[in-house]
Amino acid sequence: MTLRGPDVHVRSAPAGTRWPEPADWVTALSLPGPEQEEALRSLHTLMLRASHHQVRRMRSALHDLGEDRIVELANEAADDAMMAVLAKLPTFEGRSRFTTWAYKFAIFQCATAVRQYEWQHRDVELDDAVPQVASAPSPDDLAEAGDLASAVCDAMMHVLTPHQRRVTVALLVDEVPIDVLADRLGTTRNALYKTLHDARKRLRAQLVASGHLPAVGPGRP
Amino acid sequence: MNSSRKHVDLRAARLLTLDTEPYLSCAECFDRMDEYVEALLADPAYDDERMRTHLTACPACAEEAQSLMLLVAEDQSTTP
Repeated sequence: MTLRGPDVHVRSAPAGTRWPEPADWVTALSLPGPEQEEALRSLHTLMLRASHHQVRRMRSALHDLGEDRIVELANEAADDAMMAVLAKLPTFEGRSRFTTWAYKFAIFQCATAVRQYEWQHRDVELDDAVPQVASAPSPDDLAEAGDLASAVCDAMMHVLTPHQRRVTVALLVDEVPIDVLADRLGTTRNALYKTLHDARKRLRAQLVASGHLPAVGPGRP
Repeated sequence: MNSSRKHVDLRAARLLTLDTEPYLSCAECFDRMDEYVEALLADPAYDDERMRTHLTACPACAEEAQSLMLLVAEDQSTTP
């Protein structure tokens, strides 16, 4: 595999290989020459390390995938992350170590890829109907569950918009991952989280008003 | 209604009514994640209310932050 960095071609390093790390990553990655090639190799090694780490964490979501395909998925995520890091390089402000900053891109790319794979053949229901209250909660929370869940379902019907209902039910009841839902709806993780935040605020206000949740003042812990 | 749809139990009810103030977007969480993780590793008592609140409310960001913390901790333990 060949990765294209800024004006150079670099062959990828085998997973697990450690390269000497430049003292100044941003300069090393920015200025054409042998040092840049070495820095790109080192960066790709970091990306592979983080993406393989992430795949191991989410292995259960890939139970029907062969080992070769899992390695391929991790490698593709590492390549995508490397491109993302290079594109964002001018924004690195040194508030953390460069390696920590770079790792998060690979973890994000890989986690997103795994969640998309896990849900690729699963339907996501997007109607705005209010779900039913669970009929058989565990014995220890029987009374609280029935009361609170009923109040929440009632509030969902009365204070949420159809869009807020669709999003909250998909994310919090049907447990669709937020990036999968964003992909299906053609929107962003940010936009969905904001919708969720606003919906929760409305539900909380309604449940405080009905006495199902305690009122929280401005000096809350 | 499709049978795959789950019902609202106590866990879902609590998630639906979680207090997510102060607000922090997923993008802002991603921007600050590296700094937050290093601060927590340096001082387990470190707190950033907006990050903590977001990570409690967003499973995807929480998974990524936890993963990053473990990876950086692993690096730190092997750094001479």
